[in-house]
Amino acid sequence: MAMCTILRCASVSLTSSLPRLSNRNALTPARLLARTCYKRALSTTTRFCAALKFTDKHEWVRVDSGVATVGISNFAQEALGDVVYCGLPEVGTKLSQSDEFGALESVKAASELYSPLTGEVTDVNDALADNPGLVNKSCYKDGWLMKMTVSIPEELDGLMDEAAYERYIKSIED
Amino acid sequence: MILRLLNRACVLSGSVRLKSTLSTFFDEMGKSGIILKSATTGIFENLALEDWIHDHVDLQNRSMLLSWRNSPAVVIGRHQNPWQECNLPLMRRLGIPLARRRSGGGTVFHDFGNINMTFFISKKKYDRHRNLKVITSALKALRPDLEVAATDRFDILLNGHYKISGTAAKLGRTSAYHHCTLLCSVDRSVLSSVLKSNTSEVIKSNATPSVPSPVRNLLDVDPTLDSDTIMNAVASQYSNEFGFDGPVITVDPSHEALMPGIHKMAQDLQMWEWIYGRTPKFSVCSSLVVDDVTVKLDMDIKNGAVEQCAMEIPEDWLPSEMVNEFTSALNGSKYCPNEAAVLVAAFTRTVSVTADVAEKIHRLCAGVVSVM
Repeated sequence: MAMCTILRCASVSLTSSLPRLSNRNALTPARLLARTCYKRALSTTTRFCAALKFTDKHEWVRVDSGVATVGISNFAQEALGDVVYCGLPEVGTKLSQSDEFGALESVKAASELYSPLTGEVTDVNDALADNPGLVNKSCYKDGWLMKMTVSIPEELDGLMDEAAYERYIKSIED
Repeated sequence: MILRLLNRACVLSGSVRLKSTLSTFFDEMGKSGIILKSATTGIFENLALEDWIHDHVDLQNRSMLLSWRNSPAVVIGRHQNPWQECNLPLMRRLGIPLARRRSGGGTVFHDFGNINMTFFISKKKYDRHRNLKVITSALKALRPDLEVAATDRFDILLNGHYKISGTAAKLGRTSAYHHCTLLCSVDRSVLSSVLKSNTSEVIKSNATPSVPSPVRNLLDVDPTLDSDTIMNAVASQYSNEFGFDGPVITVDPSHEALMPGIHKMAQDLQMWEWIYGRTPKFSVCSSLVVDDVTVKLDMDIKNGAVEQCAMEIPEDWLPSEMVNEFTSALNGSKYCPNEAAVLVAAFTRTVSVTADVAEKIHRLCAGVVSVM
């Protein structure tokens, strides 16, 4: 499967950023340094990325061939308690990032679900209708909630990878 | 313990500057806790008030208690099936509306003898047991020998047996609300008749079910425990528990300027698509008797509409083409007696039938509608 990468690289030409030295008072050494440093932004957007990404609302996303599978993290399913009902969207629903797309009802409460990405719902996990407990038993695999298209791949860059998510959980637990 | 009765109620509408919303008013008050009372008794307005507060008020460093009462209404949980939970034909005859709330949980009956209490707080500090303790402590402070206690299911039981309060909750992005009922002097005969479905045996569904329980009113055990006394006691105990004081503020949810968007929220809660259309997919399998003939009816209902309808009728009573036309007329329609009746009436006008067949179709329709 071809990996499609986009490299964005911004470099500032050194000559153009050199300040005019005619005005002796204009620049302190610190400012001089700041202006001569150039920034190179490196961004990698992968369309075929099988690693898990996480939102701060404890949803996970896995993108495969342009289709994103969405579920809730282990932290979330533990916090929710036993899920008794999954309220999921209709196939074809168009969602923007952070839109509410459904709710999970557990012994704890009805908890809203928020879309991690912008896209259109292509599939929902019908197995959850008769077996909502799959969300607790297998939150990363059989307990997936919905699949959607990825309209804005750059949104994935803003999500946390597994290591960052682990750090995030530790910080909120403290 | 000395009970501080919060008599100093402050009606909000008069004291707010122009261009201020309820949210900014609370921010300006600077208090970490606020106690509110709703001025309306409409179920949809009160549910909208809860949602508005949840969506617009900053609850990260603040907690709020809202108490409210409604004129008679049945309220189902977010993922419930009203046809399974209550007697819809009876409710229509009595003029009792049905509402679907956004929190989970089971079905309840409200009237003026029931107090609703909503505890708003950040998700981090969400603690239902703490909230219920406010209520049980308040009741015990009023009547020390009252035996009331919360269960693991977050019900409050009287004398270890009778349910006087049920709980439901919703968790949002950063904040949560926990609301519960409290039976003071509810009409128990109406309660038990409307909360008994006339069609639950014919329905197959995975919607969240209610857990029926025997109930009692607080007024039954002590005639001096009226709603106002209890609401004041709970407000006072809430202040003690959460460590602040202030007047109880009366809020009028019809004040659109104070709460922009609240009117639309109340309208959305009254839409058929929300109340009935959000019912999880279910099927109806029933044997009707029409004119001494047994009719087997099978329907799949999705989003509150008939997705598929099939009927088994003896050929000699009604020809199969007529039966097929009848079921086709219902396909795609709302699972609603009025809509079904209108469609079938229109259908009998478009096909040429004898008066006898028309009568049969009319009675068949009445049979089908009886399960709606």
